[in-house]
Amino acid sequence: MATEKFIIPIGPQHPALKEPGHFEFDVDGEVVTAASVRLGYVHRGIEKGAETRNFVQAEYLVERICGICSHVHATAFCLGVEKLAGVEAPPRAQAIRQIVAELERIHSHMLWIGVAAHEAGFDTLFMYSWRDRETVMNLLEGITGNRVNYSANVLGGVKCDIGPEQIDAILAGLEFLEERTRHYLDVVSNDALFLRRTRGIGVMTRDEAERLGVVGPTARASGVPRDIRIDAPYLLYKEFPVELIVEEAGDLEARFKVRVRELFESYRVIRALLANLPEGDLTTRIPRRIKPAETISRIEAPRGELFYFIKSNGTDMAERVKVRTPTLPNMASVVVTAVGHQLADMPMILAGIDPCFSCNDRMTVVRRNGERQSWTWEQLRQYGIEWYR
Amino acid sequence: MSTETCLQTATELLATWTQESAEPEPGRVDVVIAPEDLIAAASALMDARWGYLTAITGLDLGPDDGRLEVLYHFACGAAIVTFRVRVPREDAKVPSLVSVIPSVSFFERELMEMFGVVCEGTPNTDKLFLPEDWPDGVYPLRKDFSMEQLDGQAGE
Repeated sequence: MATEKFIIPIGPQHPALKEPGHFEFDVDGEVVTAASVRLGYVHRGIEKGAETRNFVQAEYLVERICGICSHVHATAFCLGVEKLAGVEAPPRAQAIRQIVAELERIHSHMLWIGVAAHEAGFDTLFMYSWRDRETVMNLLEGITGNRVNYSANVLGGVKCDIGPEQIDAILAGLEFLEERTRHYLDVVSNDALFLRRTRGIGVMTRDEAERLGVVGPTARASGVPRDIRIDAPYLLYKEFPVELIVEEAGDLEARFKVRVRELFESYRVIRALLANLPEGDLTTRIPRRIKPAETISRIEAPRGELFYFIKSNGTDMAERVKVRTPTLPNMASVVVTAVGHQLADMPMILAGIDPCFSCNDRMTVVRRNGERQSWTWEQLRQYGIEWYR
Repeated sequence: MSTETCLQTATELLATWTQESAEPEPGRVDVVIAPEDLIAAASALMDARWGYLTAITGLDLGPDDGRLEVLYHFACGAAIVTFRVRVPREDAKVPSLVSVIPSVSFFERELMEMFGVVCEGTPNTDKLFLPEDWPDGVYPLRKDFSMEQLDGQAGE
C-alpha cells in the first residue's frame, strides 16, 4: 500500500511535556487502525547500577527512578531488603511510611487531574488542582524536608518523625484538600463539556482489563478488584485498611472517578494513622551483608502495582534488582484500546492511564496513502481540542 | 480464596509440568518448568483464571554456570507462583507467551534486549528501551557485560 513516504522530523528533544516517549499511530481518515510504542529515552540502567552498589547506596538510587512516586520505590526496596535480612521496621516507622505513601498518592493524583484536564483543554481545572496540590507538597516538605525525593526511608525504618505540630498541620491541610476533592468529584461527574471528552471514550471492559493484566486505578475503573494494599497488605494496611474503589464503566470518566474517590480513602487512612500513631523507635538495626536469598516485594503505587524482585548473594550488594513499574502493563493497554478511536481522543486515552508521566514527546501520524507526518504532543493536544470545539 | 488455597490450586494445575518445586517464602511457590512446557503450563493457569502475569525477571547465573533463568511471576491476591525456566546462555530461547497472554509483548521485548533470551514467535522484536544503534549481541543485564563492548558504537 505504501507508496512514497516523507517524514517531518520534530524532536526528540523538545519541551512539550516532561518525559519523552514515542508513539506511532496508523490512521484511516480520523480513525486509529494501529498503534505502537517506543520507550527508553530516559532509561538510565538503574537495575544494572543497583548490582554494583551496596544496599544503602542502592536505596538512594531506586528512589530516583521516579520523581513523582519516589517514596514507593524506596519503600518497596526497603521492605524487600528487610525481608531478606529477617528484620522488620518498628511500628512507628511503618505508620510514617504509610502516611508519606498516602500523601504521595494525593499529590500524584492531583498532579494527574491537572495534566489530564490540560490535555482536554480545561485549563481552569488544571490551574486549580495544581494550586491545591501545593498544600500536600508543603505537608510532605514539612515532614521530610523535601518536596519531591522525600527520602523518608532508610533500611530498617524512617529518618523523620511526625510530631504534634506536624499532626496539626496535616489535619488542617487534609480538611482543605477534602473540600476541594468534593469539588473535583462534582466536576468530573457532572460538567457537561468535560464529560464529552471522557464519557464512553477509551472503554476497556473487565475481560479486556484482566486479559491485558493492567493494574491500579486503570484496572479498578474497569471493575477489576485489584489493589495490593487490600490483596496483599504491607506496612500497616492490615490494621488501617483502605476500602476498594471500583467503577464498572471502564471509560475515561470511570478512571477519573476512581482516582478522585480514592483520595477520600487516603484522607481517611491518614487521619486514622495520625490518631493512633504507635510509640517507639524509628529504626531498627539491619546487617550490612545479607545471606543468599530471593524475595518479592509489591506495593500499590499511585499508578498501580509496583513489583520488586531482589536477590542477595551473601555480600553487601544485591545480585539482582528487578523493577516492574505499573506503567509498563498499563502502557500495553493503550496500544490495544487506541485502535478504533478518533485520533482526537488519543491525548486523553494516553493521559487516562496516568503514564509516568505523559510519556510522549512526539507523535507520528501515518496516513494510509503512505504519506508520513510527525506531530508534536502540543499539536495533537490542540487537534483534540479543536475537534471537540 | 485464601493465599494457601490459591497456591494449592496452582500447584495442582501445574503438577503435570513441574520438575521441581520450592517455597522460598510465605505466600510463594516456585516451580521449575522446561522451556517446551511453558505455554502449556501458562495456559493451565490462565484457563483456570488463576491470577495474572505480573512480571518477567531475567536472571543471569553467570558464565561459570552457563545458564540463564527466566522467571515468570504470576500473582493471585497475595499468592505468587513463579515459573523458573532455565536455558543455556549460549542458546537462550523460550517460546513466546503471546498466544496465551497478548499483553506479554512488552515484557518479552525487555527480556530479549536486556538478556539476549529469544522469545520465539513474539510479534515485535524492536528495541523497547535500548537505543536503535545499540550493538547486536550485547546484553547489558548479563553478568559479563562491560562498557568496553559499547566503545564507539552506541549513543555517540
